[in-house]
Amino acid sequence: MSSFLKRCVERPILGVCLSFLLGLQGHALASNIVVSHAMGDTEVVSSQRVVTLYQGATDSTVALGITPVGVVESWAQKPIYHYLRDDLKGAEVVGLETQPNLEAIARLKPDLIIGARLRHEKIYGQLSQIAPTVMADTVYDFQRSLALVAEATGHQAEGEKRWQAWQARTADFRKQLSAQQKKWPLTASILNARADHMRIYLDESFPGAVLRDIGFTSPIPEHKGWGIKLKTKEALPSINADVFFVLFDQEDGAVQQNYDDWRQHPLWQVLKAPRNGQVYQVNFVNWILSGGILGANLMLDELSELYHLTPAS
Amino acid sequence: MAKQWVVRQRWGSFSVPYQALLALILITMVMLLVMWVSLCLGDTLIMPRDVLATFLSESSSEFAFVVEVLRLPRLLMAAMVGAALAVSGLVLQSMIRNPLASPDIIGITSGASAAAVTFLSLFAGLGMGWLPVFAIAGALVAALAIYVLAWRNGVTPMRLILVGIGVSAAMGAVTTLLIAVSSTATSITAYIWLTGSVYGSDWHDVRALAPWLLVSMPLTLCLARRINAQELGDQLATGLGISVQRLRLVLLGLSVLLAAPAVAYAGAVGFVGLIAPHIARRLVTRSFGLLMPATAMIGASLVMLADLIGRTLFQPLDIPAGVFVSAIGAPFFIFLLYRQRF
Amino acid sequence: MLISYQAVGLRSGLVLLSLLVLLLSFVVSVAFGQYTVPLHSVWDAFWQYDPNSIDHVIIHTTRMSRAIVACAVGAALAVSGVLMQTLTRNPLASPAIFGVNAGAVFFIVLFAQVFSVTTLNDYIWIAFVGASLAGALVYGLGSMGHDGLSPVRIVLAGAAISALFMSFTQGLLVIGQEGLDSVLFWVAGSVSGRELDTILPILPYLGAGLFVALLLSPHINILLSGDDVAKGLGQNTLLLKVALSVLIIGLAGISVALAGNIGFIGLVVPHMVRAFVGNDHKWLIPLAAVWGASLLLLSDVVSRFVLAPEEVPIGVVTALIGTPFFIYLARKGRKHG
Repeated sequence: MSSFLKRCVERPILGVCLSFLLGLQGHALASNIVVSHAMGDTEVVSSQRVVTLYQGATDSTVALGITPVGVVESWAQKPIYHYLRDDLKGAEVVGLETQPNLEAIARLKPDLIIGARLRHEKIYGQLSQIAPTVMADTVYDFQRSLALVAEATGHQAEGEKRWQAWQARTADFRKQLSAQQKKWPLTASILNARADHMRIYLDESFPGAVLRDIGFTSPIPEHKGWGIKLKTKEALPSINADVFFVLFDQEDGAVQQNYDDWRQHPLWQVLKAPRNGQVYQVNFVNWILSGGILGANLMLDELSELYHLTPAS
Repeated sequence: MAKQWVVRQRWGSFSVPYQALLALILITMVMLLVMWVSLCLGDTLIMPRDVLATFLSESSSEFAFVVEVLRLPRLLMAAMVGAALAVSGLVLQSMIRNPLASPDIIGITSGASAAAVTFLSLFAGLGMGWLPVFAIAGALVAALAIYVLAWRNGVTPMRLILVGIGVSAAMGAVTTLLIAVSSTATSITAYIWLTGSVYGSDWHDVRALAPWLLVSMPLTLCLARRINAQELGDQLATGLGISVQRLRLVLLGLSVLLAAPAVAYAGAVGFVGLIAPHIARRLVTRSFGLLMPATAMIGASLVMLADLIGRTLFQPLDIPAGVFVSAIGAPFFIFLLYRQRF
Repeated sequence: MLISYQAVGLRSGLVLLSLLVLLLSFVVSVAFGQYTVPLHSVWDAFWQYDPNSIDHVIIHTTRMSRAIVACAVGAALAVSGVLMQTLTRNPLASPAIFGVNAGAVFFIVLFAQVFSVTTLNDYIWIAFVGASLAGALVYGLGSMGHDGLSPVRIVLAGAAISALFMSFTQGLLVIGQEGLDSVLFWVAGSVSGRELDTILPILPYLGAGLFVALLLSPHINILLSGDDVAKGLGQNTLLLKVALSVLIIGLAGISVALAGNIGFIGLVVPHMVRAFVGNDHKWLIPLAAVWGASLLLLSDVVSRFVLAPEEVPIGVVTALIGTPFFIYLARKGRKHG
C-alpha cells in the first residue's frame, strides 16, 4: 500500500519527467515539433494517432487529409455530421465535446490530442499524461483551428495552402458579388430561429467571422460579442440589414413555426431584406455547428449558389 | 436483554442502540461496495483482482494509469463532495428545525453558483484554477449576507431561512441572467457546473479538498451534543446551558465550511444535502452523533453511485454526476416515504 | 369585534389602492416597449383600430398578449402560493413544491427533444399535463398516511418528485446540448411570444380557479386553526384539502404552461400581503391575486429595457425586485402561517 501512496504523490512528477525524457529522445531524432498554444508549449513526437476534442479541430484535421482515431460527438446529425461521415469512417466517438471520456481516449493510445481551452482547460493535465496535448483558445476561430492542427501534425505547408486557397476563393467571390450588386458592401444578418426566441450571430461567432472574411458587414457594428438573443418581435428593427441568412433545424416543427410567426409579423415585412426578397434559408450545420475550414467552404458554396456565382475552387 | 451497546471510558461514555449499529455497518458496507465497483467499471472493465494488484505491486501495471490517475481521484472527490454536502444539510436541518433546509435552499449553493457563473461568463480568461476561489467566495458572501440580514437581536431559525430564501432567489436570478445572455459555449459550461460533476478530477483536486473536510467533519462531531439539545427548542437548550445564538452562528459557519469547498470543486450538486439526512434518519436513531456518520456515508455513496452511472451507462458519453444524484436518491427516498406510512 | 369596522375600512382602502396600482401597471405595460409607440396611437389602437398601422398591430398583438399573460399568471401564482403555504403550514412552501414546475419543464424538454412537437400551442398542453402529473404524484405520496394529507410528508414528497423530474430534465439537456438553448427562455420564464388567440380560451379556467379559491376562504380560515378544531367545527377537512390541492395544481399548472418557470411570485407575494392583512383569507386571496398580477406586469416592463434589444428573463426581474422587500418583511418579523 505504501508503494501505491508513494506513487500517488510521485506520479505527476514522474509523468512530467518521463515526457521530458521522451521528448529529449525524440528531439535527438530531429523529427518532432514544439507547438506554442493556449496552454503553453508542447513537444509533439508524432501524429499518427490524433484525437480531436472539438468540432472545428475535427473539421480542420480532415481538411488536412488526416483521419483522427477519436473524435467527439457532433452537436446535430449525431454522432457525426453528414459532411464528415465518409472521411471519419475509422474514427471512434469518445463522448461529448464538453466532457470527453478520458478512459476512452487513453484506450485509443493517441500520440496527439487537440482540444480547446474554452472547453478542456480543467482536463489539460490529465490529457497531457495520456499524450502531448495542444489547445486552441476558443472553438469558433476557424483560422486558428486550421493553423494549430496544421502545426501540430507537421502539415504546416498544407495548412498554408488551404488557407491561401480559401482567401483566393473569398477574394474571387467578393469581386464577382460586388460587380453584381448595385450596393457594396452589403450588410448581412445571420439569424438563427429557436423554439422560443430568435438570435442574431455577430462577428465573434463562426458564421460572423466567415462572412466578415467574405466581405459582408455587420448590421450592428457597434455591438461586439458573439451575438444577441431576441425574445420580442418589437426588437426586429435592430437587426435590419440588406440580406438575411436564416438558419434553423428544419426537422423541428416548433422552430419552423416560431420562424413563421416572426416572418409574418408586420415589423418583419418592413425590414430591408424581406422587402427586397433577400431572405435566404441556409444549412445550419455548415453555418454554425461545423466551426472549421471545410464548413466555411461549404458556406461559400451555398452563397455561390444563392447568388449564381462561380468562384474558383 | 440489552438493546444497546454501551461504552464507558475515562474520556467519556456513549451508547449505541444495536439497531443503529447494524444500520451503520450496513451503510458502511454499501459504501465500500460502491467504491470497489467504481474502480472496476468504466470504459475498460478491470477485474477486482487487477485493481488490487495495481495498488499492491511496486511496478505499475497496465491498468495503473486508468485506476490511479483517472478513476481513484474522481471517486475520492465524489465521496468527499457527497459526504460534505450531506452533513452540511444535516447541520442546517437540525439548526433550523425544518426538514426542507439544505445548502441549496438556504442560499449557500446559489451564492457559489452565482459567483461561478459570473466567473465562467466574464472572467474565464483568468484560468480555471480561479473557479473554486470564486465559488467559495460567493458562498461565503451569501452566507454572511444571510446572517447579517437576518440579525435583529439575534437570529431565529425562521428568519434565517426566510432571508436565506430571499438571498438564494436573488443569486439564482443573477445566475439565470448571465446564462440567458451568454453564448451557447458558455451557457453549456455553466449548465454543467450547475448540474454538478466530478468529471476530470485529479489528485491535485483531492489534495485541495481533503483538508477542508479534515477540519469540518471532526468539528461537527464535537458539536453533536449541543446540536441535539438545540433541536429540542431554544428554551430547553438555554436551560441546558447552551448559548443558542452563538451555537447558531457556529453551525451556520460550519455548514458553509462543509458545503462551499465541495460545491467549489464539483459544482452545484443538488439534493444530496436535502435527502441524505432524511434517509439516514429513517435508518438510524435521531441522535446527531450517530446520524452524522450515517449521513456522511449515505451522501458519499449517493454521489459515487451517481458518478458511476453517469460515466458508464451511456458510454462513451460521460454524463455529469449531478443528473443521477436525484435520479437514484429520489426513488429510494420515495420508497422510504411509502414504507413508513403512518 | 370593536376594531373590525376600522379594520374593514383600512382594508377596503388597501384593496382600492391595490386595484389602482394594478390598472396603472397594466397601462404602462401596454404603452411602453422597445418599439416606441406614441401615446395617442396607444389610445387609438383601442378605440379606432387600424389593422394597417404597425403601431396598432404591435399594441394589439405583442403588448396586449404579454400584459394579459402577466396579469393572469401573476394572480394565479400568488393565489396558489397562498393556498400552498396554508395547506402545508410551511412558510417555505411555494407552488413549485407540488412539483408542477419541474414536471412541466421535464415534459417540455422531453417532447421537444425526443418527440417532435409541431406547434407552439402543443407546448401549453404538454406543460399542463406534465404539471398535473407531477402534482398528482406529490399529492398521492403526501396523503398516504392514516389522516390523509400531512404537511411534512407533502413537502418532502414534493421535494423528492421535483428533484426527480429536474434530474431527468438535466439529463436530457446535458446529452442533447443544443436543446438547452432552445428552451432556455422557457426554463427561465417569459410572458412574451404567445399569441392572444392562444391565451384567451385558457383564461376562463384561471378565473374559475381564483373564484373558487375566494369562495373557499372562510373554510380555509378554519382549517388554519388546526385539523382538530376544523373537524370539531364540523368541517370536512379531507374534502377541503383535496379541493385545495386540485386548485393549487390547476392554477400553478396553467401558469407554468403559459409562462414557463417563474419563481418567487408564489413564494413571496403571499408573505408580502400577509404582512398587511394578516391571515384572513377573505382578504389575503384577492389581494395576493392583485399584487401578484401587478408585480409580474411591472417586472415585465423592466425586463424589456434593461438590456435592450435583448430581454432579461422575467423571473430574474421578479426575483431582483422582490428580494429586498421580502427580506425587509422577514426582518420585520411578522408571525407567519
